[in-house]
Amino acid sequence: MIAFQFVTAFLMIFMGLYAFLYKRNLIKLVLALNLVDAGIHLLLISLGYRLENGLLPTAPIYTGYETLKGTPMVGPIPQALVLTSIVIGVCVLSLAMALTINAYQHYETLDVSKLRRLRG
Amino acid sequence: MRPQNSDMGLIVKTMARATIPLIGIFGAYVIAHGHITPGGGFQGGATIAGAGVLFLVAFGLSEAKEKINKNFYSVLEGIGGLVFLAAGMLGLGVVFFYNVLWHKGPVFNGEAGTLLSAGYLPIMNLAVGLKVYTGLVSALFAIALFRRWKK
Amino acid sequence: MNVLPWLIITPLFGAFSMPVISLLGGKFREHWVVIVSGLTLGIAAKVFYTIWKSNEILVYTLGDTNPIGNGVKFPIRIIWEVDLFGALLALTITFVSFLAILYSLEYMKHDTGLDKYYTLTLVLELGMLGIVITGDIFNFYVFLEIMSIASYALVAFRNDTWEGIEAGVKYMFVGSLASSFILLGIALLYGQYGTLTMAYLAMKIAENPTLISKVALAFLVGGLLFKSGAVPVHMWLSDAHPAAPSSISAMLSGLVIKAGGVYAIARIIFGIFNPGLHSYLKAFDMPALNLNTLGWIIIFFACLTLVIGNAMAVVQNDMKRLFAFSSVGQIGYILLGFGIGIVAYGDKIGEIALTGAVYHIVNHAVIKGLLFFIAGAVIHQVGTKNLNELSGLARRMPFTTLSFIIGAAAIIGLPPLNGFASKWLIYESSAMYNPILAVIAVIGTVFSLAAYTRVLFTFLGVESEKVKMVKEPGNAMIVPMLVLVIIILVMGILSWQISDKIMLPTAKMLEQLNGEYIMALLKFMGGG
Repeated sequence: MIAFQFVTAFLMIFMGLYAFLYKRNLIKLVLALNLVDAGIHLLLISLGYRLENGLLPTAPIYTGYETLKGTPMVGPIPQALVLTSIVIGVCVLSLAMALTINAYQHYETLDVSKLRRLRG
Repeated sequence: MRPQNSDMGLIVKTMARATIPLIGIFGAYVIAHGHITPGGGFQGGATIAGAGVLFLVAFGLSEAKEKINKNFYSVLEGIGGLVFLAAGMLGLGVVFFYNVLWHKGPVFNGEAGTLLSAGYLPIMNLAVGLKVYTGLVSALFAIALFRRWKK
Repeated sequence: MNVLPWLIITPLFGAFSMPVISLLGGKFREHWVVIVSGLTLGIAAKVFYTIWKSNEILVYTLGDTNPIGNGVKFPIRIIWEVDLFGALLALTITFVSFLAILYSLEYMKHDTGLDKYYTLTLVLELGMLGIVITGDIFNFYVFLEIMSIASYALVAFRNDTWEGIEAGVKYMFVGSLASSFILLGIALLYGQYGTLTMAYLAMKIAENPTLISKVALAFLVGGLLFKSGAVPVHMWLSDAHPAAPSSISAMLSGLVIKAGGVYAIARIIFGIFNPGLHSYLKAFDMPALNLNTLGWIIIFFACLTLVIGNAMAVVQNDMKRLFAFSSVGQIGYILLGFGIGIVAYGDKIGEIALTGAVYHIVNHAVIKGLLFFIAGAVIHQVGTKNLNELSGLARRMPFTTLSFIIGAAAIIGLPPLNGFASKWLIYESSAMYNPILAVIAVIGTVFSLAAYTRVLFTFLGVESEKVKMVKEPGNAMIVPMLVLVIIILVMGILSWQISDKIMLPTAKMLEQLNGEYIMALLKFMGGG
């Protein structure tokens, strides 16, 4: 059985890297950064899924806990890591959009290869 | 062409008036049950920020300028952060993030799986939810106010 | 022991209460930020003194007194593990940040939006302090991102000029990509070994080194070399450091590329992938990683950085851009010291190289702070930073020129100042190991001598149009420069005492020939 979650995660990381290196629109670069982050988050979350005694794990919801005793749950630590990383990604995204709008106001274009006034 | 500061029409405004409180209630449910179900501070805060953005988009910029006060939102953001830090410092006699309210505290001491349990976690969820909501709405409001295009 | 969490609580409290305080007016805000950063300096000094006196590693757990969970035998809580290297860097960070905040009280008087500026500066200091005291690898990533996002916003602070926006865009996109690589390395390590605590991860990697741990090491070191400004990925540094306001340039060039770049590489290589443990296992024919290849790769990049960084500094016309390229060159010295420390692990040569590298981190932070403060004073008074228009400054601003002479002499490595001691240790260890490296290091010094002499002759020349009306800057800008000049002179006179009593134990603790970093955690696990 091929583990499709890991293949998809690495595919997303490579697509994000390709878009970051070969595209020139500033907004496409921001989206490429988010695509790389999304691939890494998928990789981290799929590390928490483990089979225990042949039972499939369920989501960690605690209401009605008494009826669920005995079924395993998915690992909680990767969820905390991914949550922190999503918050960091939102911060970077909002700062990047603010900088993009400012760059459009100064340079009149969204082409990254035109931002070349600092050289030498 | 519509002028810049207008709203989005009568149908959208009526639906927004109905949906914004419902989104707010759902977001409050997600924040308050953060220690039992998936959710918590950031997710609930981002949901209520969605309600804020719906208000900003449906009712136009001029209406938003009267209702949203930037200094007030900044102060609320600071207060949210200070409550989070104070909740972490409650057990400083033992170590930094010690869960004093769970081990011997007054209120948040019930059994695992009920609403009033898990020590300082509900307090921290509320503080983080407030901080995330005010932060996201002020950031998006500042981007919407940016109108210095040179023509 | 009990004073360590206050190192994080104080800047965090200062940053969160800044919107509330700034409702009360501007004067109150300035007093508040100076008090907060001064308190942090006092706490960092106390932590450093405690660890230096007792010479053992401090372990502090968050959440309970014991990092081991209930009924299991491995650590599950976040721990903060401070050794002498971390405490020394914490002291340097708080000292230079305090002086930068004092300096910016007068430098930033004509800007608006100052409450956001002070909040971001305190958050930048908090991020750096968190990186140097943590012992958990995901906590390290969170503090690294806090520091990076604050520095992106501060570089683009003057968003009404095109220079700030262009530098901010370039710095932000490259920096975020590098952080994503670091997160990928951390995710691979967590998936393979199941733990996030650095000392426990070292034990597990020594038991079972696989291909995935080598790939994770490559991603981690690659991402961190991006962030510390090594060649060939140094281009963001020469645009970002000049575009920031000068007090922030001093913090960026002196502290951010050290705490978030070189310190992290040293901690990951010596703390997690421990060369001593692996060569010990190789003697028993068990599977182990060969870290000599990594050491030679770091030495190769360090030599490139030395030559190219210092050489590009000679041809610049812009004073702050010249200082930024000189920073790139000095990072080459530090990386050379670390590289020789890896390949010559266990010998006297390796110890001397590590001592030189650690000493140079502290020296360069102080010297670059002074140089950027001088650049800021010149820009604030004259209004330009183009070297062609700045000739003849010495007659009008004598104290600034004198400070520049002392700072330039220290960074080149002239004898009675502090730069000489650290550079001498790096020359000596590289000459004993392989003489070609010593030749490359001396070539780098020759280039930097050319660059700084050019600036000095410009200052001492004939007066040009623009400098006819200037005078010395005000008190809040003179006092930090004076303090740094005195520190450089005192550190230069006492340099061998400092090297023996402070830097050599630091290098020994970093090298951990007895595995002290891992032993400090094993004490909790039932006496290891």
